[in-house]
Amino acid sequence: MKKSLPRQGCVKAARNVQGAVHKMIQLKKVHKTFPNTAVPAVDEVSFKIEKGNICVFVGPSGCGKTTILRMINRLVEPTGGSIYIDGENIMDVDGDQLRRRIGYVIQQIGLLPHRTIEQNIGLVPRLLKWPEDRINKRVKELMEIVGLDPQETAWKYPYQLSGGQMQRAGVARALAVDPPIMLMDEPFGAVDPIVRGRLQDEFLRLQQEVKKTICFVTHDINEALKMGDYIVVLNAGKLVQKGTPMEMLSDPANDFVKDLIGDDRGVKLLDLTRAESLLQATTSKTAKTVRECSCYIDALQPVKMALEVMMKHNSDMVGIRRGDQVIGTLSWTEIKQHINKISGDQ
Amino acid sequence: MEVVYNVISFIIKNYSRILEYTGNHFSLVLTVLFFSLILWITVGLLISKYDRYAGSVIGLANIIFVIPSISLFGLFVTIPQLGLGRKSAALALILYAMMPLVRNVYRGVKSVDQSVLEAGRGMGMSGTELLFQIQIPMAWPVVFAGIRVAAVMITGMATVATFIGERNLGRLIHHGITRGNEDMIIAGAVIVSIISLMLDFILSQVEKKFTSPGLRQSG
Repeated sequence: MKKSLPRQGCVKAARNVQGAVHKMIQLKKVHKTFPNTAVPAVDEVSFKIEKGNICVFVGPSGCGKTTILRMINRLVEPTGGSIYIDGENIMDVDGDQLRRRIGYVIQQIGLLPHRTIEQNIGLVPRLLKWPEDRINKRVKELMEIVGLDPQETAWKYPYQLSGGQMQRAGVARALAVDPPIMLMDEPFGAVDPIVRGRLQDEFLRLQQEVKKTICFVTHDINEALKMGDYIVVLNAGKLVQKGTPMEMLSDPANDFVKDLIGDDRGVKLLDLTRAESLLQATTSKTAKTVRECSCYIDALQPVKMALEVMMKHNSDMVGIRRGDQVIGTLSWTEIKQHINKISGDQ
Repeated sequence: MEVVYNVISFIIKNYSRILEYTGNHFSLVLTVLFFSLILWITVGLLISKYDRYAGSVIGLANIIFVIPSISLFGLFVTIPQLGLGRKSAALALILYAMMPLVRNVYRGVKSVDQSVLEAGRGMGMSGTELLFQIQIPMAWPVVFAGIRVAAVMITGMATVATFIGERNLGRLIHHGITRGNEDMIIAGAVIVSIISLMLDFILSQVEKKFTSPGLRQSG
Protein backbone atom coordinates (compact mmCIF):
# COMPACT_ATOMS: atom_id res chain seq x y z
CA MET A 1 0.00 0.00 0.00
CA LYS A 2 2.60 2.49 0.92
CA LYS A 3 5.24 3.23 -1.58
CA SER A 4 8.65 4.91 -1.46
CA LEU A 5 11.37 4.19 1.05
CA PRO A 6 12.03 0.70 2.23
CA ARG A 7 9.13 0.03 4.58
CA GLN A 8 9.78 -3.53 5.65
CA GLY A 9 10.99 -2.31 9.00
CA CYS A 10 8.05 -0.17 9.87
CA VAL A 11 6.02 -1.21 12.87
CA LYS A 12 2.99 0.40 11.27
CA ALA A 13 3.15 -1.66 8.09
CA ALA A 14 1.06 -4.30 9.81
CA ARG A 15 -1.85 -1.90 10.07
CA ASN A 16 -2.25 -1.42 6.35
CA VAL A 17 -5.21 -2.90 4.59
CA GLN A 18 -4.28 -5.42 1.98
CA GLY A 19 -5.53 -5.11 -1.56
CA ALA A 20 -5.88 -2.44 -4.17
CA VAL A 21 -4.98 1.16 -3.46
CA HIS A 22 -8.17 2.98 -2.69
CA LYS A 23 -8.36 6.71 -2.23
CA MET A 24 -11.03 7.22 0.38
CA ILE A 25 -10.69 10.93 0.93
CA GLN A 26 -9.19 13.35 -1.50
CA LEU A 27 -8.63 17.07 -1.14
CA LYS A 28 -7.93 19.12 -4.25
CA LYS A 29 -6.53 22.62 -3.75
CA VAL A 30 -8.83 23.19 -0.81
CA HIS A 31 -8.97 26.77 0.30
CA LYS A 32 -10.72 28.51 3.17
CA THR A 33 -10.74 32.16 4.06
CA PHE A 34 -13.03 33.03 6.96
CA PRO A 35 -15.19 36.14 6.62
CA ASN A 36 -13.50 39.36 7.72
CA THR A 37 -10.01 37.90 7.62
CA ALA A 38 -7.34 38.67 5.07
CA VAL A 39 -5.16 35.60 5.54
CA PRO A 40 -6.55 32.26 4.40
CA ALA A 41 -6.93 29.70 7.19
CA VAL A 42 -6.28 26.91 4.69
CA ASP A 43 -4.39 27.66 1.51
CA GLU A 44 -4.60 25.35 -1.50
CA VAL A 45 -4.09 22.12 0.36
CA SER A 46 -4.18 18.86 -1.59
CA PHE A 47 -3.66 15.33 -0.38
CA LYS A 48 -5.20 11.89 -0.51
CA ILE A 49 -5.98 9.46 2.24
CA GLU A 50 -6.06 5.78 1.49
CA LYS A 51 -8.78 3.51 2.78
CA GLY A 52 -8.11 1.99 6.19
CA ASN A 53 -5.32 4.41 7.03
CA ILE A 54 -4.91 6.84 9.87
CA CYS A 55 -3.93 10.19 8.48
CA VAL A 56 -2.69 12.67 11.06
CA PHE A 57 -2.84 16.43 10.54
CA VAL A 58 -0.15 17.95 12.69
CA GLY A 59 1.06 21.49 13.22
CA PRO A 60 1.01 24.41 15.67
CA SER A 61 -2.25 26.08 16.77
CA GLY A 62 -3.87 28.05 14.00
CA CYS A 63 -2.18 26.03 11.26
CA GLY A 64 -5.55 25.08 9.79
CA LYS A 65 -5.60 21.44 10.82
CA THR A 66 -8.96 21.58 12.58
CA THR A 67 -10.44 23.68 9.78
CA ILE A 68 -9.44 21.02 7.25
CA LEU A 69 -11.02 18.34 9.44
CA ARG A 70 -14.22 20.31 9.77
CA MET A 71 -14.36 20.87 6.03
CA ILE A 72 -14.36 17.14 5.42
CA ASN A 73 -17.74 16.80 7.16
CA ARG A 74 -18.90 20.22 6.00
CA LEU A 75 -19.08 21.82 9.42
CA VAL A 76 -17.03 24.44 7.59
CA GLU A 77 -17.64 25.09 3.91
CA PRO A 78 -14.51 25.52 1.80
CA THR A 79 -14.18 28.75 -0.17
CA GLY A 80 -12.24 27.03 -2.93
CA GLY A 81 -11.15 23.65 -4.22
CA SER A 82 -13.04 20.43 -3.74
CA ILE A 83 -13.19 17.45 -1.41
CA TYR A 84 -14.10 13.95 -2.53
CA ILE A 85 -15.13 11.04 -0.37
CA ASP A 86 -15.09 7.74 -2.19
CA GLY A 87 -15.07 9.64 -5.47
CA GLU A 88 -18.11 11.73 -4.61
CA ASN A 89 -17.87 15.49 -4.25
CA ILE A 90 -19.10 16.24 -0.72
CA MET A 91 -20.81 19.42 -1.88
CA ASP A 92 -23.30 17.20 -3.71
CA VAL A 93 -24.44 15.64 -0.43
CA ASP A 94 -26.70 17.20 2.21
CA GLY A 95 -24.54 18.31 5.15
CA ASP A 96 -26.56 16.59 7.88
CA GLN A 97 -26.79 13.37 5.89
CA LEU A 98 -23.05 13.48 5.21
CA ARG A 99 -22.23 13.96 8.89
CA ARG A 100 -24.37 11.00 9.94
CA ARG A 101 -22.15 8.81 7.78
CA ILE A 102 -18.91 10.13 9.29
CA GLY A 103 -17.81 9.47 12.85
CA TYR A 104 -16.79 12.58 14.74
CA VAL A 105 -14.83 12.81 17.98
CA ILE A 106 -13.70 16.08 19.53
CA GLN A 107 -11.38 16.90 22.41
CA GLN A 108 -14.18 18.19 24.64
CA ILE A 109 -16.04 14.97 23.74
CA GLY A 110 -19.38 16.77 23.88
CA LEU A 111 -21.41 13.97 25.43
CA LEU A 112 -24.94 15.22 25.99
CA PRO A 113 -25.04 15.72 29.77
CA HIS A 114 -28.80 15.16 29.99
CA ARG A 115 -28.65 11.75 28.34
CA THR A 116 -27.35 8.48 29.71
CA ILE A 117 -24.26 6.90 28.20
CA GLU A 118 -26.50 4.39 26.49
CA GLN A 119 -28.56 7.18 24.91
CA ASN A 120 -25.44 9.10 23.96
CA ILE A 121 -23.93 6.16 22.13
CA GLY A 122 -27.25 5.41 20.45
CA LEU A 123 -27.66 8.98 19.26
CA VAL A 124 -26.87 8.61 15.57
CA PRO A 125 -28.70 5.26 15.18
CA ARG A 126 -31.75 7.01 16.65
CA LEU A 127 -31.36 9.90 14.21
CA LEU A 128 -31.30 7.29 11.46
CA LYS A 129 -34.44 5.71 12.97
CA TRP A 130 -33.04 2.25 13.61
CA PRO A 131 -35.47 -0.08 15.40
CA GLU A 132 -35.03 0.11 19.18
CA ASP A 133 -33.84 -3.48 19.71
CA ARG A 134 -31.17 -3.09 17.05
CA ILE A 135 -29.95 0.09 18.76
CA ASN A 136 -29.78 -1.65 22.15
CA LYS A 137 -27.82 -4.53 20.73
CA ARG A 138 -25.41 -2.23 18.92
CA VAL A 139 -24.87 -0.03 21.98
CA LYS A 140 -24.01 -3.01 24.14
CA GLU A 141 -21.63 -4.30 21.50
CA LEU A 142 -19.93 -0.90 21.17
CA MET A 143 -19.49 -0.51 24.89
CA GLU A 144 -17.69 -3.81 24.99
CA ILE A 145 -15.53 -2.86 22.01
CA VAL A 146 -14.31 0.36 23.63
CA GLY A 147 -13.93 -1.24 27.05
CA LEU A 148 -16.89 0.11 28.99
CA ASP A 149 -18.87 -2.29 31.13
CA PRO A 150 -22.46 -2.15 29.83
CA GLN A 151 -23.92 -3.39 33.13
CA GLU A 152 -22.03 -0.77 35.06
CA THR A 153 -22.02 2.24 32.76
CA ALA A 154 -24.99 2.11 30.38
CA TRP A 155 -27.45 3.92 32.64
CA LYS A 156 -24.97 6.44 34.02
CA TYR A 157 -24.84 10.10 33.06
CA PRO A 158 -21.69 11.68 31.64
CA TYR A 159 -20.82 13.52 34.88
CA GLN A 160 -20.54 10.17 36.65
CA LEU A 161 -17.72 9.01 34.37
CA SER A 162 -13.97 9.58 34.51
CA GLY A 163 -12.23 11.47 31.73
CA GLY A 164 -10.96 8.27 30.15
CA GLN A 165 -14.39 6.63 30.29
CA MET A 166 -16.00 9.69 28.71
CA GLN A 167 -13.46 9.57 25.91
CA ARG A 168 -14.27 5.89 25.33
CA ALA A 169 -17.96 6.74 25.23
CA GLY A 170 -17.18 9.48 22.70
CA VAL A 171 -15.35 7.01 20.48
CA ALA A 172 -18.17 4.47 20.84
CA ARG A 173 -20.70 7.11 19.85
CA ALA A 174 -18.68 7.97 16.75
CA LEU A 175 -18.48 4.28 15.81
CA ALA A 176 -22.19 3.68 16.36
CA VAL A 177 -23.40 3.30 12.78
CA ASP A 178 -20.10 1.80 11.70
CA PRO A 179 -19.08 4.74 9.52
CA PRO A 180 -16.22 4.01 7.12
CA ILE A 181 -14.64 7.36 8.01
CA MET A 182 -13.85 8.87 11.40
CA LEU A 183 -12.74 12.42 12.08
CA MET A 184 -10.95 12.89 15.38
CA ASP A 185 -9.94 16.31 16.67
CA GLU A 186 -7.34 15.88 19.43
CA PRO A 187 -9.45 13.07 20.84
CA PHE A 188 -7.02 12.25 23.62
CA GLY A 189 -6.02 15.81 24.40
CA ALA A 190 -8.09 16.24 27.54
CA VAL A 191 -6.87 13.24 29.55
CA ASP A 192 -3.69 12.87 31.54
CA PRO A 193 -0.59 11.44 29.84
CA ILE A 194 -0.90 7.97 31.35
CA VAL A 195 -4.51 7.53 30.31
CA ARG A 196 -3.69 9.10 26.96
CA GLY A 197 -1.00 6.54 26.23
CA ARG A 198 -3.36 3.74 27.16
CA LEU A 199 -6.18 5.11 25.04
CA GLN A 200 -3.81 5.50 22.09
CA ASP A 201 -2.68 1.90 22.36
CA GLU A 202 -6.23 0.67 22.72
CA PHE A 203 -7.33 2.76 19.81
CA LEU A 204 -4.61 1.36 17.56
CA ARG A 205 -5.63 -2.15 18.57
CA LEU A 206 -9.26 -1.29 17.86
CA GLN A 207 -8.29 0.13 14.48
CA GLN A 208 -6.71 -3.23 13.57
CA GLU A 209 -10.19 -4.71 13.87
CA VAL A 210 -12.41 -1.97 12.51
CA LYS A 211 -10.09 -0.66 9.77
CA LYS A 212 -11.61 2.78 9.48
CA THR A 213 -10.27 5.57 7.39
CA ILE A 214 -9.33 8.10 10.02
CA CYS A 215 -8.40 11.75 9.99
CA PHE A 216 -6.70 12.59 13.24
CA VAL A 217 -5.78 16.09 14.36
CA THR A 218 -3.06 16.69 16.93
CA HIS A 219 -0.42 19.28 17.76
CA ASP A 220 1.77 16.63 19.36
CA ILE A 221 4.30 15.25 16.89
CA ASN A 222 4.92 12.19 19.03
CA GLU A 223 1.25 11.32 18.93
CA ALA A 224 1.29 11.92 15.17
CA LEU A 225 4.25 9.55 14.69
CA LYS A 226 2.64 6.96 16.93
CA MET A 227 -0.86 7.05 15.47
CA GLY A 228 -0.28 7.96 11.85
CA ASP A 229 0.08 5.76 8.81
CA TYR A 230 0.37 8.98 6.95
CA ILE A 231 1.16 12.45 8.23
CA VAL A 232 0.26 15.85 6.85
CA VAL A 233 2.32 18.66 8.36
CA LEU A 234 0.69 22.07 8.21
CA ASN A 235 1.86 25.55 9.04
CA ALA A 236 -0.07 28.81 8.66
CA GLY A 237 -2.65 27.17 6.44
CA LYS A 238 -0.14 25.68 4.05
CA LEU A 239 0.81 22.08 3.57
CA VAL A 240 4.47 21.73 4.50
CA GLN A 241 5.06 18.03 4.04
CA LYS A 242 3.05 14.86 3.59
CA GLY A 243 4.30 11.34 3.93
CA THR A 244 4.67 8.34 6.17
CA PRO A 245 6.17 8.73 9.67
CA MET A 246 9.33 7.07 8.33
CA GLU A 247 9.58 9.62 5.55
CA MET A 248 9.04 12.49 7.98
CA LEU A 249 11.80 11.27 10.24
CA SER A 250 14.32 10.26 7.64
CA ASP A 251 13.73 13.07 5.21
CA PRO A 252 12.15 16.19 6.75
CA ALA A 253 11.25 18.70 4.03
CA ASN A 254 12.61 21.79 5.77
CA ASP A 255 13.65 23.34 9.05
CA PHE A 256 10.06 23.73 10.18
CA VAL A 257 9.48 19.99 10.03
CA LYS A 258 12.88 19.35 11.60
CA ASP A 259 12.01 21.66 14.51
CA LEU A 260 8.61 20.07 14.87
CA ILE A 261 10.09 16.59 15.08
CA GLY A 262 12.82 17.71 17.45
CA ASP A 263 16.52 16.89 17.67
CA ASP A 264 15.94 13.28 18.56
CA ARG A 265 14.89 12.16 15.11
CA GLY A 266 17.21 9.18 15.10
CA VAL A 267 15.93 7.90 18.42
CA LYS A 268 12.31 8.42 17.33
CA LEU A 269 13.06 6.35 14.27
CA LEU A 270 14.00 3.47 16.49
CA ASP A 271 10.49 3.54 17.87
CA LEU A 272 9.12 2.95 14.38
CA THR A 273 11.63 0.30 13.37
CA ARG A 274 10.95 -3.33 14.14
CA ALA A 275 13.72 -5.29 15.72
CA GLU A 276 13.49 -7.98 13.04
CA SER A 277 14.44 -5.51 10.32
CA LEU A 278 17.96 -5.10 11.73
CA LEU A 279 18.31 -8.71 12.68
CA GLN A 280 21.64 -10.49 12.22
CA ALA A 281 22.03 -14.21 11.84
CA THR A 282 23.21 -15.85 15.02
CA THR A 283 26.76 -17.09 15.18
CA SER A 284 28.00 -19.44 17.83
CA LYS A 285 29.76 -16.53 19.52
CA THR A 286 26.77 -14.18 19.59
CA ALA A 287 24.47 -16.99 20.65
CA LYS A 288 26.66 -17.53 23.67
CA THR A 289 26.74 -13.83 24.57
CA VAL A 290 22.96 -13.60 24.38
CA ARG A 291 22.46 -16.77 26.38
CA GLU A 292 24.76 -15.52 29.12
CA CYS A 293 22.92 -12.28 29.72
CA SER A 294 19.57 -13.84 28.78
CA CYS A 295 18.25 -10.68 27.21
CA TYR A 296 15.64 -11.17 24.51
CA ILE A 297 13.01 -9.15 22.74
CA ASP A 298 10.21 -10.07 20.38
CA ALA A 299 10.79 -9.69 16.65
CA LEU A 300 7.86 -7.31 16.28
CA GLN A 301 8.91 -4.98 19.07
CA PRO A 302 10.54 -1.68 18.11
CA VAL A 303 14.31 -1.32 18.16
CA LYS A 304 13.90 1.10 21.04
CA MET A 305 12.96 -1.89 23.20
CA ALA A 306 16.21 -3.54 22.23
CA LEU A 307 18.10 -0.50 23.56
CA GLU A 308 16.11 -0.60 26.77
CA VAL A 309 16.90 -4.28 27.32
CA MET A 310 20.57 -3.74 26.48
CA MET A 311 20.88 -0.97 29.03
CA LYS A 312 19.07 -2.92 31.69
CA HIS A 313 21.32 -5.95 31.29
CA ASN A 314 24.46 -3.93 30.56
CA SER A 315 24.96 -5.82 27.34
CA ASP A 316 25.58 -4.60 23.82
CA MET A 317 23.57 -7.33 22.22
CA VAL A 318 20.05 -8.78 22.47
CA GLY A 319 18.53 -11.92 21.11
CA ILE A 320 15.46 -11.68 18.91
CA ARG A 321 12.71 -14.18 19.38
CA ARG A 322 9.70 -15.08 17.39
CA GLY A 323 7.52 -17.05 19.72
CA ASP A 324 9.92 -19.25 21.69
CA GLN A 325 12.46 -19.51 18.97
CA VAL A 326 15.55 -17.33 18.79
CA ILE A 327 15.83 -16.14 15.21
CA GLY A 328 18.80 -13.81 15.43
CA THR A 329 20.56 -11.06 17.32
CA LEU A 330 20.74 -7.32 17.27
CA SER A 331 23.78 -5.40 18.43
CA TRP A 332 24.55 -1.85 19.41
CA THR A 333 26.76 -1.41 16.33
CA GLU A 334 23.95 -2.24 13.96
CA ILE A 335 21.59 0.21 15.64
CA LYS A 336 24.22 2.93 15.41
CA GLN A 337 24.77 2.22 11.74
CA HIS A 338 21.05 2.29 11.11
CA ILE A 339 20.63 5.71 12.71
CA ASN A 340 23.60 7.10 10.83
CA LYS A 341 22.35 5.73 7.55
CA ILE A 342 18.91 7.27 7.87
CA SER A 343 19.66 10.56 9.52
CA GLY A 344 23.22 10.94 8.41
CA ASP A 345 23.13 14.71 8.36
CA GLN A 346 22.60 15.06 12.08
CA MET B 1 -51.69 33.95 69.61
CA GLU B 2 -54.65 36.21 69.71
CA VAL B 3 -53.90 37.47 66.20
CA VAL B 4 -53.87 33.92 64.86
CA TYR B 5 -57.16 33.20 66.58
CA ASN B 6 -58.73 36.39 65.22
CA VAL B 7 -57.53 35.74 61.67
CA ILE B 8 -58.82 32.18 61.74
CA SER B 9 -62.17 33.18 63.11
CA PHE B 10 -62.38 35.92 60.49
CA ILE B 11 -61.72 33.38 57.74
CA ILE B 12 -64.33 31.00 59.15
CA LYS B 13 -66.92 33.75 59.46
CA ASN B 14 -66.38 35.02 55.94
CA TYR B 15 -65.85 31.57 54.52
CA SER B 16 -67.90 31.87 51.34
CA ARG B 17 -66.62 35.33 50.40
CA ILE B 18 -63.01 34.30 50.90
CA LEU B 19 -63.57 31.16 48.88
CA GLU B 20 -64.92 33.24 46.02
CA TYR B 21 -61.96 35.64 46.18
CA THR B 22 -59.49 32.80 46.32
CA GLY B 23 -61.14 31.09 43.37
CA ASN B 24 -61.01 34.30 41.35
CA HIS B 25 -57.42 34.91 42.32
CA PHE B 26 -56.39 31.43 41.39
CA SER B 27 -58.19 31.44 38.07
CA LEU B 28 -56.63 34.78 37.11
CA VAL B 29 -53.16 33.51 37.96
CA LEU B 30 -53.65 30.29 36.02
CA THR B 31 -55.04 32.09 32.97
CA VAL B 32 -52.13 34.49 32.96
CA LEU B 33 -49.62 31.70 33.47
CA PHE B 34 -51.12 29.64 30.65
CA PHE B 35 -50.96 32.41 28.05
CA SER B 36 -47.60 33.71 29.31
CA LEU B 37 -45.94 30.33 28.96
CA ILE B 38 -47.18 29.80 25.41
CA LEU B 39 -46.36 33.32 24.33
CA TRP B 40 -43.08 34.06 26.09
CA ILE B 41 -41.43 30.68 25.72
CA THR B 42 -42.08 30.93 21.99
CA VAL B 43 -40.65 34.44 21.92
CA GLY B 44 -37.66 33.30 23.97
CA LEU B 45 -36.93 30.47 21.56
CA LEU B 46 -37.35 32.76 18.57
CA ILE B 47 -34.87 35.31 19.85
CA SER B 48 -32.36 32.59 20.63
CA LYS B 49 -32.61 31.58 16.99
CA TYR B 50 -32.69 35.12 15.59
CA ASP B 51 -30.08 36.57 17.85
CA ARG B 52 -30.08 40.07 16.41
CA TYR B 53 -33.52 40.76 17.91
CA ALA B 54 -32.59 39.45 21.35
CA GLY B 55 -31.26 42.73 22.71
CA SER B 56 -34.29 44.80 21.80
CA VAL B 57 -36.85 42.18 22.88
CA ILE B 58 -35.23 41.68 26.28
CA GLY B 59 -34.83 45.45 26.57
CA LEU B 60 -38.54 45.89 25.96
CA ALA B 61 -39.33 43.23 28.57
CA ASN B 62 -37.18 45.09 31.08
CA ILE B 63 -38.89 48.40 30.35
CA ILE B 64 -42.35 46.86 30.82
CA PHE B 65 -41.19 45.23 34.01
CA VAL B 66 -40.22 48.51 35.66
CA ILE B 67 -43.57 50.23 34.96
CA PRO B 68 -45.42 50.44 38.30
CA SER B 69 -48.15 47.82 38.10
CA ILE B 70 -50.93 50.03 39.34
CA SER B 71 -50.35 52.49 36.51
CA LEU B 72 -50.30 49.80 33.84
CA PHE B 73 -53.58 48.36 35.17
CA GLY B 74 -55.04 51.85 35.15
CA LEU B 75 -53.83 52.52 31.63
CA PHE B 76 -55.42 49.39 30.20
CA VAL B 77 -58.79 50.24 31.79
CA THR B 78 -58.90 53.37 29.63
CA ILE B 79 -58.74 51.24 26.48
CA PRO B 80 -62.39 50.66 25.53
CA GLN B 81 -61.93 47.09 24.32
CA LEU B 82 -60.41 46.09 27.65
CA GLY B 83 -62.20 48.12 30.28
CA LEU B 84 -62.51 47.20 33.94
CA GLY B 85 -61.95 43.66 35.05
CA ARG B 86 -60.39 40.43 33.91
CA LYS B 87 -59.17 41.40 30.43
CA SER B 88 -57.10 44.37 31.54
CA ALA B 89 -55.79 42.56 34.58
CA ALA B 90 -54.75 39.48 32.59
CA LEU B 91 -53.09 41.48 29.85
CA ALA B 92 -51.05 43.57 32.27
CA LEU B 93 -49.91 40.52 34.21
CA ILE B 94 -48.97 38.69 31.01
CA LEU B 95 -46.77 41.63 30.11
CA TYR B 96 -45.07 41.54 33.51
CA ALA B 97 -44.34 37.85 33.06
CA MET B 98 -42.47 38.61 29.87
CA MET B 99 -39.23 39.61 31.58
CA PRO B 100 -38.53 36.53 33.73
CA LEU B 101 -39.75 34.12 31.07
CA VAL B 102 -38.22 35.52 27.87
CA ARG B 103 -34.95 36.30 29.58
CA ASN B 104 -34.58 32.89 31.16
CA VAL B 105 -35.52 30.96 28.03
CA TYR B 106 -32.97 32.96 26.07
CA ARG B 107 -30.30 32.65 28.75
CA GLY B 108 -30.99 28.94 29.17
CA VAL B 109 -30.72 28.14 25.49
CA LYS B 110 -27.61 30.27 25.12
CA SER B 111 -25.90 28.73 28.13
CA VAL B 112 -25.74 25.32 26.47
CA ASP B 113 -22.12 24.23 26.24
CA GLN B 114 -20.72 24.93 22.77
CA SER B 115 -18.85 21.65 22.62
CA VAL B 116 -22.10 19.73 23.10
CA LEU B 117 -23.68 21.60 20.20
CA GLU B 118 -20.57 21.09 18.12
CA ALA B 119 -20.71 17.36 18.78
CA GLY B 120 -24.42 17.28 17.99
CA ARG B 121 -23.89 19.09 14.73
CA GLY B 122 -20.89 16.95 13.90
CA MET B 123 -23.04 13.87 14.25
CA GLY B 124 -25.53 15.18 11.76
CA MET B 125 -28.29 16.66 13.90
CA SER B 126 -30.39 19.22 12.06
CA GLY B 127 -31.18 22.65 13.49
CA THR B 128 -34.55 21.48 14.79
CA GLU B 129 -33.05 18.32 16.29
CA LEU B 130 -30.39 20.41 18.03
CA LEU B 131 -33.10 22.67 19.46
CA PHE B 132 -35.43 19.96 20.71
CA GLN B 133 -32.92 17.29 21.67
CA ILE B 134 -30.11 19.41 23.08
CA GLN B 135 -30.86 23.08 23.63
CA ILE B 136 -34.34 22.87 25.16
CA PRO B 137 -33.70 19.90 27.47
CA MET B 138 -30.44 21.45 28.65
CA ALA B 139 -32.09 24.84 29.15
CA TRP B 140 -34.90 23.37 31.32
CA PRO B 141 -33.42 24.20 34.73
CA VAL B 142 -32.91 27.85 33.82
CA VAL B 143 -36.28 28.08 32.04
CA PHE B 144 -37.99 26.58 35.07
CA ALA B 145 -36.35 29.06 37.39
CA GLY B 146 -37.97 31.74 35.24
CA ILE B 147 -41.37 30.03 35.32
CA ARG B 148 -41.26 29.80 39.11
CA VAL B 149 -40.32 33.44 39.49
CA ALA B 150 -43.11 34.40 37.08
CA ALA B 151 -45.71 32.32 38.94
CA VAL B 152 -44.87 33.76 42.35
CA MET B 153 -44.69 37.26 40.94
CA ILE B 154 -48.05 37.02 39.15
CA THR B 155 -49.73 35.70 42.27
CA GLY B 156 -48.50 38.65 44.29
CA MET B 157 -49.14 41.25 41.63
CA ALA B 158 -52.66 39.99 40.97
CA THR B 159 -53.72 41.51 44.29
CA VAL B 160 -53.31 44.96 42.77
CA ALA B 161 -55.91 44.08 40.14
CA THR B 162 -58.56 44.60 42.79
CA PHE B 163 -58.38 48.31 41.97
CA ILE B 164 -59.64 47.63 38.45
CA GLY B 165 -62.55 45.50 39.56
CA GLU B 166 -61.12 42.02 40.09
CA ARG B 167 -62.84 40.44 43.06
CA ASN B 168 -59.82 38.59 44.40
CA LEU B 169 -57.72 38.37 47.54
CA GLY B 170 -56.37 41.83 46.85
CA ARG B 171 -59.80 43.11 47.74
CA LEU B 172 -59.48 41.56 51.17
CA ILE B 173 -56.21 43.39 51.75
CA HIS B 174 -57.51 46.62 50.22
CA HIS B 175 -60.67 46.63 52.33
CA GLY B 176 -58.65 45.69 55.36
CA ILE B 177 -56.50 48.77 54.85
CA THR B 178 -59.41 51.16 54.30
CA ARG B 179 -61.31 49.81 57.29
CA GLY B 180 -58.30 49.46 59.53
CA ASN B 181 -59.08 45.75 59.95
CA GLU B 182 -55.78 43.97 60.46
CA ASP B 183 -57.31 40.49 60.59
CA MET B 184 -58.62 41.06 57.09
CA ILE B 185 -55.22 42.24 55.82
CA ILE B 186 -53.41 39.31 57.39
CA ALA B 187 -55.96 36.79 56.11
CA GLY B 188 -55.58 38.11 52.57
CA ALA B 189 -51.81 38.20 52.72
CA VAL B 190 -51.53 34.73 54.23
CA ILE B 191 -53.79 33.14 51.63
CA VAL B 192 -51.89 34.86 48.80
CA SER B 193 -48.62 33.58 50.25
CA ILE B 194 -50.01 30.08 50.53
CA ILE B 195 -51.05 30.14 46.87
CA SER B 196 -47.57 31.35 45.92
CA LEU B 197 -45.84 28.67 47.93
CA MET B 198 -48.15 26.00 46.60
CA LEU B 199 -47.59 26.99 42.98
CA ASP B 200 -43.87 27.12 43.58
CA PHE B 201 -43.92 23.69 45.16
CA ILE B 202 -45.98 22.16 42.35
CA LEU B 203 -43.67 23.70 39.76
CA SER B 204 -40.60 22.43 41.58
CA GLN B 205 -42.06 18.92 41.38
CA VAL B 206 -42.77 19.37 37.67
CA GLU B 207 -39.24 20.66 37.20
CA LYS B 208 -37.81 17.59 38.90
CA LYS B 209 -39.83 15.37 36.66
CA PHE B 210 -38.79 17.12 33.47
CA THR B 211 -35.14 17.76 34.25
CA SER B 212 -32.72 15.00 33.39
CA PRO B 213 -30.88 13.59 36.42
CA GLY B 214 -27.72 14.14 34.39
CA LEU B 215 -28.27 17.89 34.65
CA ARG B 216 -29.64 18.02 38.17
CA GLN B 217 -26.66 16.33 39.76
CA SER B 218 -23.94 18.14 37.87
CA GLY B 219 -25.60 21.55 37.85
